[in-house]
Amino acid sequence: MGVFKMPPQIVRLVLLTVAIVGSYLMARTVLTPPSFRQYGWYRGEALVELASRQIVFAGKPACEICHDEEFRKLAKGSHKGLSCEGCHGPSQAHSDDPDDLAVRPKKEPFSTCTRCHEFNVSRPKWHKQIVTRTHYTGDKCTDCHVPHSPTEVP
Amino acid sequence: MKSEISRRDILGGLGAVMAGLATLPLARTAKAAVQKLAVSANAPKGYDPTQHRWVMGIDINRCIGCGICVEACKTENHVPMGRNYFRTWIERYIITKPKPGTGAARGEVLVESPDGGMHGFSDLPVPAADVLHSFFVPKLCNLCEHSPCVQVCPVGATFDAPDGAVLIDPEYCIGCGFCIQACPYGCRFLNPFTRTAEKCTLCYHRITRGLKPACVEVCPTQARIFGDLKNAPPEDPIRQFYQDNRVQALKPFLGTDPRLFYAGMDKEVR
Repeated sequence: MGVFKMPPQIVRLVLLTVAIVGSYLMARTVLTPPSFRQYGWYRGEALVELASRQIVFAGKPACEICHDEEFRKLAKGSHKGLSCEGCHGPSQAHSDDPDDLAVRPKKEPFSTCTRCHEFNVSRPKWHKQIVTRTHYTGDKCTDCHVPHSPTEVP
Repeated sequence: MKSEISRRDILGGLGAVMAGLATLPLARTAKAAVQKLAVSANAPKGYDPTQHRWVMGIDINRCIGCGICVEACKTENHVPMGRNYFRTWIERYIITKPKPGTGAARGEVLVESPDGGMHGFSDLPVPAADVLHSFFVPKLCNLCEHSPCVQVCPVGATFDAPDGAVLIDPEYCIGCGFCIQACPYGCRFLNPFTRTAEKCTLCYHRITRGLKPACVEVCPTQARIFGDLKNAPPEDPIRQFYQDNRVQALKPFLGTDPRLFYAGMDKEVR
């Protein structure tokens, strides 16, 4: 009996298997983003990308930097819990460049008040509501109410 | 005919391939560094997702159905206008009086959400005299602990972030729509412009900068409460919310274990 010789078909099979598995592993290394399994089965970079989007609403503290007068007024009345941008609209652009008139929040229309205060049967009872038609026949809510301090008469 | 390729050539080629492979990790590190530099230009500094646990609560008794949150969400996240695309929306539940003589305690349940409640709610679909009671329910991603949407994603594009947000990687999403089918709360949609799935991200670009999500920021009645369970002091609104209310999650029988809790929820809400 001579020394054992690996049959050539087995050698070829082993080489082929190694080549296939090797190329798969290589392709996976190249194609998988580096941050893929940083936190789990997804791209960790996606978190950073999602976090890098631009802000549109500046948030109440940003308004207070310049408009502290309005804040003092607001803090006394029942509208103290309201966010500025709920009525005045998104203001990040205005806070970035306060002098740019194009992005300055506009004057609020009548619907700003009625959006919350028009009577609706689905609204909770604790919320102050009016039926505009019977409440006042005049022109503007601000004839009788100060929006930043609703109980005050102008 | 004798082959032109010698054993030496093959061995040499193999050696070159091995050397090339050895540089791969180096190239990957470089690529990662370049990518990181490219994406983190606008990214908030010093935010570690493993150090936060964001949760949200909704107090139904405080919602007045004004729709400012829906509008703010659309503006902040550039959600396409149109009545099928919402990351958050408001539903109006109307429970009618029982039909006389039936002996039932309550009548029919009607649910409506015209334009997602963005422009408010006006006319009742039934005569006001027939309404037993009616209320608004803001809806958004339920922040499931066991998210069906994440389980079905075939490409690893949607995931539970370590900080509790359930997010979508727009680069990886192939727009197959499995997650939209899977979400039992109907919180996802296919963006018609990007052709990728979209959902509430808890305003990820805002919370990572220390701001509140846009809907929470603008809500005039504090019906939406948002906080970080890992870092909230006892007087934080989110802790107060859990303390002061008996809370409930939507569709608890599904085992999704949502982290979005509702206070003052009616049994008909689903």
